[in-house]
Amino acid sequence: MAFDVSYALDRTVAVIEIPERLDAGCSNELKDKINEIVNESIYNIVINLSNTNFIDSSGLGALVSKISVCKANGGDIKLAAPGKRVFEILQITHLDKVLNYYHDLEEAINSFATG
Amino acid sequence: MNKPVNQHNLEPDYNRPLFEVPIDIKRKIINILTLLYGSEASRRIYPELERIMKVYYAYKCEDLIEWEKSFDKSEMFSQEDVILITYGDIIQKNSRKPLKVLADFCRDYFSNSFNTIHILPFFPYSSDRGFSVKDFEEVDHNLGTWSDIEDIGIDFKLMFDGVFNHISAKSKWFQEFLNGNPDYKNFFIVLSTNEMVSEDHLKLIVRPRTSPLFTEFQTIEGPKLVWTTFSPDQVDLNFHNPKVLVKMIDIFLTYVRRGADMIRLDAVTYLWEELGTDCVHLKQTHAIIKLFRVILDAVAPYVALITETNVPHEQNIQYFGNGYDEAQMVYNFALPPLVYHSFVTGRTNKLTKWAKTIKRVSEQATYFNFLDSHDGIGLLPVKGLLDNDEMDFLVYQTLERGGYISYRTESDGSESPYELNITWYSAINGSDESGDDQGRRVKRYIASRAIALFFMGVPGVYFHGLIGSKNDAEAVLKEKNTRSINREVIDGQTLKEKLEDKSSISAQIVDNLNELIGIRKNETFFHPNAHQYVYEISEKLFAFVRKPDDSDEFVFCVINVTGDAEVFKMPDELTGKTKIFYELVSKRSMDLEKNNEIEIGGYGIMLMKSIKKSA
Repeated sequence: MAFDVSYALDRTVAVIEIPERLDAGCSNELKDKINEIVNESIYNIVINLSNTNFIDSSGLGALVSKISVCKANGGDIKLAAPGKRVFEILQITHLDKVLNYYHDLEEAINSFATG
Repeated sequence: MNKPVNQHNLEPDYNRPLFEVPIDIKRKIINILTLLYGSEASRRIYPELERIMKVYYAYKCEDLIEWEKSFDKSEMFSQEDVILITYGDIIQKNSRKPLKVLADFCRDYFSNSFNTIHILPFFPYSSDRGFSVKDFEEVDHNLGTWSDIEDIGIDFKLMFDGVFNHISAKSKWFQEFLNGNPDYKNFFIVLSTNEMVSEDHLKLIVRPRTSPLFTEFQTIEGPKLVWTTFSPDQVDLNFHNPKVLVKMIDIFLTYVRRGADMIRLDAVTYLWEELGTDCVHLKQTHAIIKLFRVILDAVAPYVALITETNVPHEQNIQYFGNGYDEAQMVYNFALPPLVYHSFVTGRTNKLTKWAKTIKRVSEQATYFNFLDSHDGIGLLPVKGLLDNDEMDFLVYQTLERGGYISYRTESDGSESPYELNITWYSAINGSDESGDDQGRRVKRYIASRAIALFFMGVPGVYFHGLIGSKNDAEAVLKEKNTRSINREVIDGQTLKEKLEDKSSISAQIVDNLNELIGIRKNETFFHPNAHQYVYEISEKLFAFVRKPDDSDEFVFCVINVTGDAEVFKMPDELTGKTKIFYELVSKRSMDLEKNNEIEIGGYGIMLMKSIKKSA
């Protein structure tokens, strides 16, 4: 499975589209994708969860797999449009307190412009 | 003289002379009761405490009474003390009672290294993996019986939990309160629903959780708001009511009678609540700990109190009192986050700076050096030792290593990280192990553990740390609790196979730890209260000297927190009397006369024992 990546705000923000399920079957691939983006010196990343209805622990691990590098370089990892079920998982794991989340993709992208 | 096997009778023996409370003990107890409840009440309460002490004493075997006559409190701890922290049901095997399974494993695999087992709360409970106790005096029948606990006590010293701050909402005590039973009317801190605490008061109260401080319960008299520091299922006991204190002292001595050599006072920071204050570390809380200590000194002087106070270091060590009148051991809460910080940054400067402040408390008290436990790695204890950026870095590193974070509510209503939930193995090695071979991961892990094993104090290892468990992240989702990441129940057969397969990571960790513990146990240099001097010899190395009283000899301990080899020189002041050393890990002699430069490998451990020059 390939994760679609697009760029916004003059390629300062990378947007990764997450499929319906983010689990052990694809979490390593997501980690690799985030790694590639960070290696391109892009540290502002939006994870678009609008199509996602299931995340397991390996998927959660992938979301934050490069968070210290992004933060250390003045960037961040932000979540866009998490559904109810996904949001419950974020709450259980307290990742909702670590990762900023937005109701829609545009809002998430623009948050990088407004700081 | 060894402590006798038989310590307490099954029934009290009132044919023997009753315990006579020494006048100085009586005076101390009355003074404490006066501080808590006023002088009139103290004289009313004292006789009941004296009765409880006499009852306890009547249970003691003659052998124990005789042995205590020669017991020296300064020998409370020795270098042989190494504590294994475990749940009573951490190993499941067939349909056997878990306490019996635990006993077999401890005897078969760990009895040469660990001499003390801390069995986390083994009482009937309703939540928080044992810390919401329903009945303080019973063993959870799913685990076993008192007889199973006492059986473990034949081969090991035992540490029990005194979960005295709160009780389960499902307990008989609390249910009787809901029923309006007058005996339990003031057992809890209660407000009527229309009588809220002011916002100003609420803001002052220090919280370890984000859950509401008050929980509404329906009682026979209508809805009531009840103080619940930790969760709606863990109702704080009201120590303003002397009946609660007396009851808890009775339970405390029951634990001694049942074989406790150490009693861990869980969450004791929050014991006494007083509106208008921050409700932590209050003088009344310290007074109650002093009372426990006075009573132990009088009737069971060999039993140690250990306080669990997950708070900033300076406040934590206040629970030693003056070194003789409160806890004999204090959880060294700053150690785990600082060791973790050293390994993830490859720099020991923060650990070294803090370690220099650690001095001997008294000959009767010392630190409990743990790196992991059933809870997470606390961040409050390093407030002021690490700055906000450094703490954030640990938070992000923990997430990257597959862990999670627990939060608490600050006085301004914001939430801040309280604890890092991750196994020690995953913290040190990360969750993605593709880059390292197993040998290197084991070496890195053992280096981290060596710091706690040789540092001033008594070391403790959590069961999952002993076998190198990785994060159980799925359990977090299943049980909806981030602490579940480090609380996996292990299948006994699988564990046995792992421990007997010498190529497995668990077996290699156990073998390496056993070897280091063996070194510790054989050397008085590592007595918990041997002196300690910390040196800055390289940013990559953590270095300290351990030296007993009245001796010129010492061991220079060096641990490399990085994977790179490093060359260092022993400080000149340590080579004045001898330049011959014996390195205890590699078992080789070193002559620094010819070459004062010493190379330590990546994640190396060197314990260089000074050798006196022959006359």
